[in-house]
Amino acid sequence: MSPCGSAGSRFCRLPIFFALVALGSESLAAGTPAGTVIENTATVSFDVGGTPLSVDSNTTTLTVDERIDVTVTVQSPQVLVAANDTNRELLFTVTNTGNGTETFQLAIDSVIAGNDFDPVPAVPAIYFDTDGSGDFNVGDQAYTPGSNDPVLLADESVDVFLINDIPGTVLNGQIGRSELTATSATGTGAPGTEFAGQGDNGVDAIIGTTGGEAADLGEYLVSEVAVSVTKAQAVTDPFGGSEPLPGSTITYTITVEVTSTGTASTSVLSDAIPTFTTYVPNSMTLNGSPLTDAADADAGEFNTAGIPSVVVQLGDLTQTDGIQTIVFEVQID
Amino acid sequence: MKKVIGVLLILACASTAVAAEGHLNVRTVVQKETVRLDDGGAVQTELVSADTVVPGENVFYTITFQNISEEPADNVVITNPIAESLTYLDGSAFGPGAEIRFSVDGGHTFAGLDELTVIEDGEERTATADDVTHIRWRMQEALAAGAQGVARFAAVLN
Repeated sequence: MSPCGSAGSRFCRLPIFFALVALGSESLAAGTPAGTVIENTATVSFDVGGTPLSVDSNTTTLTVDERIDVTVTVQSPQVLVAANDTNRELLFTVTNTGNGTETFQLAIDSVIAGNDFDPVPAVPAIYFDTDGSGDFNVGDQAYTPGSNDPVLLADESVDVFLINDIPGTVLNGQIGRSELTATSATGTGAPGTEFAGQGDNGVDAIIGTTGGEAADLGEYLVSEVAVSVTKAQAVTDPFGGSEPLPGSTITYTITVEVTSTGTASTSVLSDAIPTFTTYVPNSMTLNGSPLTDAADADAGEFNTAGIPSVVVQLGDLTQTDGIQTIVFEVQID
Repeated sequence: MKKVIGVLLILACASTAVAAEGHLNVRTVVQKETVRLDDGGAVQTELVSADTVVPGENVFYTITFQNISEEPADNVVITNPIAESLTYLDGSAFGPGAEIRFSVDGGHTFAGLDELTVIEDGEERTATADDVTHIRWRMQEALAAGAQGVARFAAVLN
C-alpha cells in the first residue's frame, strides 16, 4: 500500500519525520509484516569512581509470524428482485486482514436458515468484479475453485459477486439470502492454531481472531409492484360545447396508483402529446399543484426532444402515497 | 613514553562513556504470555521465552543488571528503545528504585509522559503511550558492588 494513497494522503505534505510516525501506526492496518525481525538492546550508563561508562545488553530477537485473518463484507444493500429474475448480483469485499500474503478459497451458500426463500446459485455463481465497476458485467471473470483462488497481500482486498436466480414461486415481501465465505488456504482453526513453517518466507502461520475464515450475507427482497394507471379526457370547444374541433382544448387527467405492497422505484410518468394537437404551455399540474414546463427542480417537464411528451417524476411510490393525479391540456390544431 | 600514552587513554575514557563489560553485567530477555488451564481448571497466565510474535500480541522485556565490580556504580541509567513495530503499553514500565522517564523524540529528551507533547497534523498534543520511542530508568541510589537491579516494560506488536 502506498503511504500516499487516498487514506494517507494528508501525511504526504508533511515533513518526513511525521510521515514516518504515521507509517508506524496507520498504514499497517494488517500489522507488522510477517518475517519482520525485531531486535532489542538495552544500554546502561553509569559512573565508577567518577568515570562515565556504558555497557550494552545482549540483543534479543523476535521474528514476526504470519497471522492469518480475513473479513468478508457485503457491499450491496438489499437487492430488490422479482420472481423468475435471473443473474441477480450481490457484491462483497474480501479483505486479507492478516500480515502476510494469503490465498483464499471462496464458496457460496444460498440455503440460509430463517429466510423466506432460497435463491438459486447461477452456474458459475461466483465472479470477480474484474473491471472494478461494482456492477456485474460480461467482462467479469468467473471464480473457479483451486484455479484462480484470490491471492491477497496483507491489507489487500478483492470485490466478489454472488450471482443467483430468483425462483418463480416467491411472493412479494419475501426475503432470500446468499452467503459468501472466504477461507484461508493455509488453514483455519481456533485463534492461536499454528501452522509451522507455512507463513510467508517460512515463518510460522498463526490463526488470528477471525479463525482464518469469514462470511457475510447478502439479501434479496421480492418487490413486485402493481401499478394502476388511468387516463381520462375532457373536451372543451371554442363555442362552449364539448366537440373535438380545431381550437378545442382537451384536458387529460392521468392517475397513477400503487395497488400492491412494494415500492415502484423512481417512477416516471411519460405521456406523448397526440398528433394534430399542441401542448398548452404551463398547463401541467401534479395533485393540483402547477408544474413548470422546464426541466428544472420541480417534478414536471414538457419534453420536446423527439415526440413531444409530458414527463413527470413521481419518485419512489408505495401504496401509502395514494393516487397521483397529473393533469395537462392540449389544443387541437 | 608508555606512561604518557596511558594518561591519554584515561583522558579519552573520561570524555566519552566506553564499553565496560568488567563492571556491569546486563541481560535482556523477551517473553510473552501464555494462558493455560491448570489441573483445577483455573486459567493460569505465565510468561514464556519468546522467539516469535504476531500482530496484536503483547511482549514483555526484562532487563537485569548486576554490578560485578568491586566498586559501587553511581548514576546508573538504563535506556531502552521501543522498536518501530512495537507500541509501548501504558503503565507497564517498572523498576524498583528507579525514576522512569520517556522520550517521544527518538531519545533526545526524556520526561514524564504527561509532560511530553508531540505535533500531529500540525497541532501540538499531549504525548501518549503510542508515541513513546525510548524508556529510561534512572536509579536513585548507587548500585553497590555485587548488587543487582531490574527494569521491565511491555509492548504490543503493531
